[in-house]
Formats: sequence, C-alpha cells, structure tokens
Amino acid sequence: MLNTADFYHVLRIDQTSNSLREEIKEHCHTDIEMCLECGKCSGGCSNAHIFDITPRKIIQLIKVGEEAKLLKMDALWSCVACQLCVDRCPSSINIPRIMDYLREKAYSQGVPASRPNVELFHELMLNNIKRFGRVPEALLSVEFNIRSKQYTKDAEMGMKMFFKGKLNPIPARIKNIKQVQRMFRDIPAQREG
Amino acid sequence: MNVAYYPGCSLHGLAKEYGISVEVACKHLGINLKEIEDWNCCGATAAHSLNHELTISLSARNLAIARDMKMNKVLAPCAGCFSRLKGASYELRNNKALAAEVGEIIQAEPPVEPEVNNLLQFIMEEQGIDALRAKVVKPLQGLKLAAYYGCLLTRPKEVVQFDDPEQPVSMDLILQALGAEPVVWAHKAECCGGGYAASDTDIVIDLSGQILESAQIAGADAIVVACPMCGVNLDTRQEAIAAKKGKKYDLPIIYLTQLMGIAFGYSPAQLGLKRHLNSPFPLLQSKGLL
Repeated sequence: MLNTADFYHVLRIDQTSNSLREEIKEHCHTDIEMCLECGKCSGGCSNAHIFDITPRKIIQLIKVGEEAKLLKMDALWSCVACQLCVDRCPSSINIPRIMDYLREKAYSQGVPASRPNVELFHELMLNNIKRFGRVPEALLSVEFNIRSKQYTKDAEMGMKMFFKGKLNPIPARIKNIKQVQRMFRDIPAQREG
Repeated sequence: MNVAYYPGCSLHGLAKEYGISVEVACKHLGINLKEIEDWNCCGATAAHSLNHELTISLSARNLAIARDMKMNKVLAPCAGCFSRLKGASYELRNNKALAAEVGEIIQAEPPVEPEVNNLLQFIMEEQGIDALRAKVVKPLQGLKLAAYYGCLLTRPKEVVQFDDPEQPVSMDLILQALGAEPVVWAHKAECCGGGYAASDTDIVIDLSGQILESAQIAGADAIVVACPMCGVNLDTRQEAIAAKKGKKYDLPIIYLTQLMGIAFGYSPAQLGLKRHLNSPFPLLQSKGLL
C-alpha cells in the first residue's frame, strides 16, 4: 500500500534545483511539496484571466527553480491578494505569502516591475508613512499623478470627492514618528524616493 | 464595554462617513470606542507587497499600544487594516523568531494579545442578533440589499476564523435583524480590486464591474459594505464602469453602520449620508426611511 510520504515523494520532480523551494519553506512557512496539482488555486484566483502565470503554474515553476522567470512575472504586480487560493488549497499552501515573498525579492534585487505604476504607488505610500506615520490620501494621489505623468487622472472625480469632504488637504503627522521611522531602517533605499 | 478602536487612515479620509457612522452605531450599542493613542498606518497593500517585516512591525506597534491601554480587544472596521492587524497578531503568536525581531524594532514586548475583530465579528460576538434587533426603532422594511463582504473580512480562514470564507452570512443576518431583505447573490466575497484603485484602475473597473453586475442581476436596491476600499471602489468607479458597459447601475453603496444608524433612528446628517457619489437619498426616501 502506498503511504502518504511515498505519494508526495513521487511529486518531487526536480531534486537538483531546490534552493528557491527551501527558501520559501523557511521564510513563508509553507511547503509546496504538498501541492496536489489540483488547480483549485487557479480556479479560484480573482485575476487568473489576466495573469501571465497562474498560481498552479507558479508553484510548479518554484519546484523546478525557474527563479528568473518568477521574479519578472506580471502576476506579482496584478495579484489582488484576495486569499482565495490559500483558502481553496487542500494542502493550505500559503500562495499569497509566496507572492509577497517573490515580489519583495524582485524589488530588492531591482528587477523591473511589469507594472511600474503599481510599484511606484507602493513606494510613494511607504514614503508617506515614513514621513507622517499615516497616509495623507490627497497628497499621495497628487504625488502619484505627477510621478506617473498622468497629470489629469481622476481629476474630476477628485474634485467631487474633495467637495464631499473625503479628501483632507493638510496631512497630519503622528506624535511619535521616530518609532515608525525606526521600522524603515533596514529597508533598501527606495529609488528616487 | 470598552474596546480599543483602530480607525485607520481611510476612516479619517476617503471613507469619513464610515468612521462617523461606526462611532454613532457603537455609542448607541453602549460600546465605548477608545481610539488607539497615536496609532500609525497599517501599511496597507504597499507594506505587505514590498516588505514583510515592515508590515508586521507597523501593526505590532498599534497592537502594543492597545495592550498598554489595557484593552483586550481591538475593533478595526476597515477590512484592510483588520487583515494587517489580525495577520500580524497571528504571525507574532506563531513565529517566535519573527516576534523577537519585531519586538526589537518596536522596542516593546511583542504584543500577542489583544484579539483583533472586524466589525461583523464584533457585532455578532459582542452584541448578538437579538440584542441588535431590540435596538431597532425604524425597521429597514422594503430594502433589498446585497451584503458585500469582499476578500478580507473572512479570509484567510486560518487567520480570521470567523464565518464562512466564501459564503459568509453574518452581514446578511445583521441586515435581516435591521428589518431589511438581503438578496441571494453570487459575488458576496469576491474581490473589488482593492488597493489598485489608483495604481491600476483597470483592474478595479473589471472586478468591481462584475460585482455591480451581479448585484443588479440579483435585484438589489443597494450594496452594503463594511470596508472603505470596497466602498470607495464601488462608489467612485461606478460611473466609469457604467460608461464602459454602456448601462446604468444606480446602486448606492452604503456602509453597514450607516444602515444601523438609520434603523436606530439617527438622521442622515449624523451618518454622513451626503458624502456618497451615488446618493442613497432617492432610494431611502422612496422606502419612507428618511
């Protein structure tokens, strides 16, 4: 009779390039060897219809150590982190955490993001948190429009929202901003930020 | 009862009407919201996308302050903030090495308590449906509502441990207790596009468009939300979605606490009902609720 351990052993398709797999096991506390290849992650995925590489394939590419391909995939910058994949996975593989891990790795290595505006927005948001401790939404939108050269993006809607009292023109800073800034000390200098 | 309150950036800004109505509804239910002193942003999508340790640290500081305020529960009405705080709390409890690192960064004992609740869980567990029903003075009769939970109020299930991750019912039960009629529909826990509101609006138009479509097919008069990102995306992008699909939706997007406020007898001004781009006034007036 085939026991569970033997069964999973059969799925170890590449014993030679396992460094990424080991890294993910260590940092994401999730074991992709438990993948049953059932495809429920891709079936549930909110954005599978626009992903260049869908979740099941992502797990397979990690298994075969295709790191370069994974770090530049568009899915890193279009995943909505809706958590459907992990909740549907019969083995509870934490795919959203794996996506964060791969994106963080790509970002820290300077791999160009397939959607530079998404990356830019994240950077601007983090810079604002570092500066104020909170997100000044109006300032962030203006900064994003200027830096992404989409000068009139959502301008009309922004005015409507301003008159509805939804946009605070003056950013507020928290008192103990130093405590927040301390959290940023290990973060690689953000480009042009 | 006292509870630590984490409003997050949106409840002070883009979703001010959610913040206002949370305060009104909680006060009416006898809940004292003690705002976490000098709280910082949870880091939202940006922090977890680019730096894991940062996202945990940002939430850990907020949880540590709540603990120092002697609070054993934190209410985070924003689903995004809730997810960050709850996720951090889960990691701090289960990953001792990370907890030690984070403790060093925030220069405090890593906070493994208090419990973090979203609005739905808080109402269900601290009030209960019967107590809620007893407070209703103006039942929301004749309102057909699509209860929209989005992604993060119930997922990931291992962390949230509340309601069904894909077929949740808590908000439907709350709306029923308020006298409204929740519709059966397919998209109650699908994603609106969340944090891509500004950075990649096409994703939001696509995903939020599917939600509006589904609510309309189900015959809903309005969509009810308990998350500022869902609220803002469905409200502010409705015009662009309608233009793209060449049809009209006319679906007001109303925060759950605003409806609680109406059912408890508060006025539109007290609940920020004028702040929506798709006005809920015509609908609420047609049902005799305003």
